[in-house]
Amino acid sequence: MANLAKMKLAPGPAWFVTLRYGLAFASVAAALGLARAFVYFHLPQPFGAFAISAIALTFWYAGTAPGILAAVLSSLVRSYLFDATTSTESRVLFDLVFLVFALLMTRVARERNQLELRVAERTAELTRSNENLKREIAERNQAQYLTGQVFECSPDAILIIGTDYRYKRVNPVHARNWGRPAASMVGMHVADLLGAEFFEQRVQPFLDRCFAGESVRFEDWFENALGRRYSAVSYSPLLSDSQRVEAALVIGRDLTEHTLASEALRHAQSDLAHASRMTTMGELTASLAHEVNQPITAAVNGASTCVRWLTRDEPDLAEAREAALGVVRNARRAADIINRIRSISKKGESKRQLIEIDEVIREVVVLLRNEAERYSISIRTHFDVNLPKVMADPVQVQQVVMNLIMNSFDAMKDVDRTRELVIRTRRAKDRQLMVSVTDTGVGLPSQQSDQIFDAFFTTKSHGLGMGLRISRTIVESHGGRLCAADNSPHGASFSFTLPIPIDSPE
Amino acid sequence: MSCHKASKLVAIVDDDDSVRGTLQELLRSAGFSSRAFDSAEGFLASGNQQETACLITDIRMPGISGLELQAKLNAERCRIPTIFITAHGDEEMRFKALREGAVEFLQKPFDDEVLIESIRAALNR
Repeated sequence: MANLAKMKLAPGPAWFVTLRYGLAFASVAAALGLARAFVYFHLPQPFGAFAISAIALTFWYAGTAPGILAAVLSSLVRSYLFDATTSTESRVLFDLVFLVFALLMTRVARERNQLELRVAERTAELTRSNENLKREIAERNQAQYLTGQVFECSPDAILIIGTDYRYKRVNPVHARNWGRPAASMVGMHVADLLGAEFFEQRVQPFLDRCFAGESVRFEDWFENALGRRYSAVSYSPLLSDSQRVEAALVIGRDLTEHTLASEALRHAQSDLAHASRMTTMGELTASLAHEVNQPITAAVNGASTCVRWLTRDEPDLAEAREAALGVVRNARRAADIINRIRSISKKGESKRQLIEIDEVIREVVVLLRNEAERYSISIRTHFDVNLPKVMADPVQVQQVVMNLIMNSFDAMKDVDRTRELVIRTRRAKDRQLMVSVTDTGVGLPSQQSDQIFDAFFTTKSHGLGMGLRISRTIVESHGGRLCAADNSPHGASFSFTLPIPIDSPE
Repeated sequence: MSCHKASKLVAIVDDDDSVRGTLQELLRSAGFSSRAFDSAEGFLASGNQQETACLITDIRMPGISGLELQAKLNAERCRIPTIFITAHGDEEMRFKALREGAVEFLQKPFDDEVLIESIRAALNR
């Protein structure tokens, strides 16, 4: 209503005001003219009627104030030009009629103004809502266009499957994957496309979970028109207005190339690691042979002893038994060492399990004991007995430990001071466990200490320069870090970390 | 200083516990009494050199090796008949050991008859 009052009071430009008041003069003048013409032609004098029309006209088109002016003008004109002879009573009556008519017209004019304002307002409202509607339609069209573009142009297969397990909509990628037009798949049962067995075992369980309201994701190999493909698939429930699941939105991303490439990379890394292990074991042949030969020698001694006790004139069974037990013990020891060598030499997929790091290190140290002896190197171990188990591939961890120890051996072979190797395990910060191998050898190459982890970097006359590189790859694939530092006053220290599993006690 | 050869003591020097232990048992079953040492240093420090009639020693050991032990004993003019047992013996090593007065040079694992015969021969010198 404030708006209405403002509009009513607005005076408008000066020329418009002049025009409005001019209408009062013009209409009264016209009434006068017409009345004069009637008198001239001796017709009954009609100024009163014409004046009423003039007043009405002015009120209607020019508004209240000019209307009142027209009424006053009409009253004056009639008094001075037509009613000279009329009685005062009839003059007053006429004035009263004009006054009442003017008042009436004031009200009519106001009503009309308000009506006009209301119409204008309603029109404006209608225009506004019309524009909103148009915008909404445009936005909806845009959203629909975007949805359509996403659906049609996505590099992923997108499809909608109804709760009746029939395709409601499929995109071109899905159509291409199956080598048939999208339109032909709409309405088709999923089992008819994928085969009943595959559908029941590998699709329906996921779809049912989705229809129960769950978002499901999984990765698997699928056989389609393009061949055997590896896809990551997600099922998301689509809800109706009443919040019931009425379909599943299925998005399938083809990861075949990616998967094959990462598998090939993993194979290559595994082959390389194996080759590197074999090289190391090759270098250790003499030591390993000696390590196996010792218990075999002991077993042979025991067997000879046993035979001697049995072949005496009076066989001593107790002594023979004791000797035979020694044979068993030593033969087992030889077999254990061979098993250790075999497990390190074995080629196979990485198998992670909960391992005790100390035990894994101890196994390597046993194999390298003789090699250490050969170069008069003493090995000391400081194990933190309270360490939790870690999730790791024992063969790979052994490879890292063996590589670090062998590097230390190489670094100490030609030094004249005490040759000592210290292996330490301890808990490090950030839920990590740390293994360090410290030697009293020649230390890190001063100019190139940042290059030691590069492939093919080596300071040795033998070796490929792959050991540390592979060790770092292994450690990092376990979520740990491998780093090197100079040891004071002599030698180098290599340490690597492995993450402690979340569920193990602090 | 020279060594007395009155006794029939056999000394064994080997750093590997199981080889040393089983060797001692083997000698016992053959009727020999022996003393075992886990290093050449241990044997030299024992003061048993004089009464040792036969020495059986490994060659490669941490610290003093079997060949060095032989050289040290020779330098002390204590020529104990020595039998070397080794896992890595090569011809050069064998030749060197025999030249220095070794009575036998055996590859591990060895034939007990050969060893026993060698010990007997050494004790009867």
